[in-house]
Amino acid sequence: MSSPADFVTTEEITKRRILAIDDEEANLLLLETLLQREGYTDIHFLDDPMKAMDQFIDLEPDLVLLDLMMPDMDGYQLLESFRRHTSPEVFLPVLVLTADTTVQARRRALSLGAKDLVVKPFDVIEVGLRIANLLETQILYERLRS
Amino acid sequence: MGERSIIPTRIAKAWADLPLTRKGLVVVIVPLVILIGSLLTLYRASYIEARAEDDVRRAFAIQRDIYQVHALLAEAASGVRGYLLTGEERFLDPYEKADRDLPATLGRLDVAIEDRGVREAYEVFLTQADRKRAGLDDLLERARTQRSEAGLSDATRALLAANKDVLDDLRRQIDVIQELEGALLDARRERVERVRDQYLLQTAVSAVIGALGSLAAVVLFSTGIVRRVHQLEENAERLQRGAPLAAFPPATDEIGTLATKLDRASALLRAREQDLRESEERFRLVVEEVRDYGIFVLTPEGKVATWNTGAQRIKGWQADEIIGEHFSIFYPEETRAFLPAHMLARATEQGSAEDEGWRVRKDGTRFWANVIITALRDEDGVLRGFAKVTRDITERKQSEEALEEAREQAIAANLAKSEFLSRTSHELRTPMSAILGFTQVLELDSEELPESHKRAVTQISKAARHLLSLINDLLDISSIEAGGSDVALEATPLDEVLSEAHGLSAPIVKTAGLNFTLTPLGRGQTVLCDRRRTVQVILNLVTNAAKYNVDGSFISLSATEEDGRAVISVSDDGPGIAQADLPRLFTPFDRLGRDRRKGAEGSGLGLALSKRLVESMDGTISVETEEGEGATFSFTLPLAEEPQPTTVREGVADELSS
Repeated sequence: MSSPADFVTTEEITKRRILAIDDEEANLLLLETLLQREGYTDIHFLDDPMKAMDQFIDLEPDLVLLDLMMPDMDGYQLLESFRRHTSPEVFLPVLVLTADTTVQARRRALSLGAKDLVVKPFDVIEVGLRIANLLETQILYERLRS
Repeated sequence: MGERSIIPTRIAKAWADLPLTRKGLVVVIVPLVILIGSLLTLYRASYIEARAEDDVRRAFAIQRDIYQVHALLAEAASGVRGYLLTGEERFLDPYEKADRDLPATLGRLDVAIEDRGVREAYEVFLTQADRKRAGLDDLLERARTQRSEAGLSDATRALLAANKDVLDDLRRQIDVIQELEGALLDARRERVERVRDQYLLQTAVSAVIGALGSLAAVVLFSTGIVRRVHQLEENAERLQRGAPLAAFPPATDEIGTLATKLDRASALLRAREQDLRESEERFRLVVEEVRDYGIFVLTPEGKVATWNTGAQRIKGWQADEIIGEHFSIFYPEETRAFLPAHMLARATEQGSAEDEGWRVRKDGTRFWANVIITALRDEDGVLRGFAKVTRDITERKQSEEALEEAREQAIAANLAKSEFLSRTSHELRTPMSAILGFTQVLELDSEELPESHKRAVTQISKAARHLLSLINDLLDISSIEAGGSDVALEATPLDEVLSEAHGLSAPIVKTAGLNFTLTPLGRGQTVLCDRRRTVQVILNLVTNAAKYNVDGSFISLSATEEDGRAVISVSDDGPGIAQADLPRLFTPFDRLGRDRRKGAEGSGLGLALSKRLVESMDGTISVETEEGEGATFSFTLPLAEEPQPTTVREGVADELSS
């Protein structure tokens, strides 16, 4: 095992499992393109938020990319559910991607456990960097705990 | 008053004017003087009587001495005669006794006799007595010498006869004196009687005068002091009762002064009472006639004691129907049991109690009332009752409720609008996200694309960004107009905002090939603004200037202070704006056709948005320009009242630098 002092390699990061949830197929496709460009391999996409919890429990993703405004079940409810199904020792980064630019939306999402938030339309490269940063933090956190 | 008719008015007046001490003196001195006068008279009468009695005694003494002289001489004469006849020496004893005692008796008489008539008779008597004695001496001499010759000679007999005549003369003279002295005695006795009568008369007169003097003193005391004090007392009582005072004879002594003062006090009191009555009357009329307020008084127990027009109008009861009733009758059933008592308790404790709530009218209908109950206390703090002022504010209540309803509706509408904007934002930006995202991906991989597609991707990217900025501005404007913009006003150091905006917009200005100067305000002034929005406005203005200043050389950002407001200006030396175009400058989507002419990018919403943002921060925006002379866009922000303390600013600076 690597010690906490070691650098986190790109390979370690891109091995991580990512689940992207968005009701817009175009956005999911954009995220897929983005993640593939960055070299991620274990990536999963879901356009039906009603199935999100099942998928979340089955897949046990390392990172979730989540849209806030979705029909039937919105991102806020999912954020609360994720937190309930995640043990307190686990660092689960959720990156919220939303077209809602209001302060209220940002505050609410971050207070419900979102680790980061990017407003749509977003800069593809920036989102890639944020995902990598979150995963690196997660890896370092896990090293510290083990 | 009776006394006044007896005593002349002028004297009475002078007496009344006399100060009390003098009056007292007079009252004491009058009987005293009379008493002393009486005593003197008595003394004089008794002196005169004593003198008269002396005189009588002396008269008796004179009579006795005269007789004694006569007796001595007579006995001496008979002795001498006896001696003459017998020649015996023992007959001479009376003669010797007379010779011995006579001088003393005569001496006493000489002293005692004063009356001239008597003295004249006495002088005769004295010569006769001397003659008699001389005759006796002669006779005795003769007797001694004749003894040898024996028997009585004729000369002797003649001498005897002469002696006898002298004695007779003497006796007659004594009678004269006695007669004189007797008359004198009678006169003196009479005088004594007279003096005694006079003395009795004087005593009686003194007694009468003394009695009169005392009476006068009593009268003086009564008229001068007691009666007036009584009058004064009566007036004081009248004053107490508030009755008009009885007329009091004016005088300048203490009582008179007091009476005058009492009179003045009474007049003053009456004037004040009159004022008070008038004021009370006015007040009562005002209270009674007030129609919009029910104003009435409650007893300490809460029973209605007075009633006014307003109360009658608001509550429906007539005065005679309600006075004496407990005021809880005004309360609806659900509060009647506790609220009235609670209100009185609160008013008693805190001085007054205010309440708003439902009350009932006589006919049972309800009205929404504003009620103020004030405790009424007297000077000693004892609770005398309560003043209750009631207003029917049902209409106000209704309009307040309507207002509240309208406000709630507005809030709901606003929420709906915000919700709509949020959704619209989402709906518009979501596809933009895909378009821009994929365009960026394509741009990133543009090496793999043919040249024509590369240009197409560039065009798509440019158009998509334009569309996005359009959507952003549109959403901003809509959100401001919906009142849901998140403008958070706080005291912000203006120069920090300026330098932030300057830093952010410098690259754009630099790209346009222009100089960019910053002139801060410089004294740490703070303005009341939303920092992010203010920066946004400055960026808008600077971007606009950079966009249109194709011929000029600079853009300047500066701030000044004017009438308690900060003025932030963005100036350029570009082509300026035509006067005709100015009115449409801040209208959305009106780009004055210049974009097409100059090919400048923009949504046409920048100035419109800036104007709304500035206005939402309580500022104004304006432009000064002349075609060909450049343009200056200025907006104002209110200066915050207190400049931020220097220490805090230093703290912020430390945090930033560390």
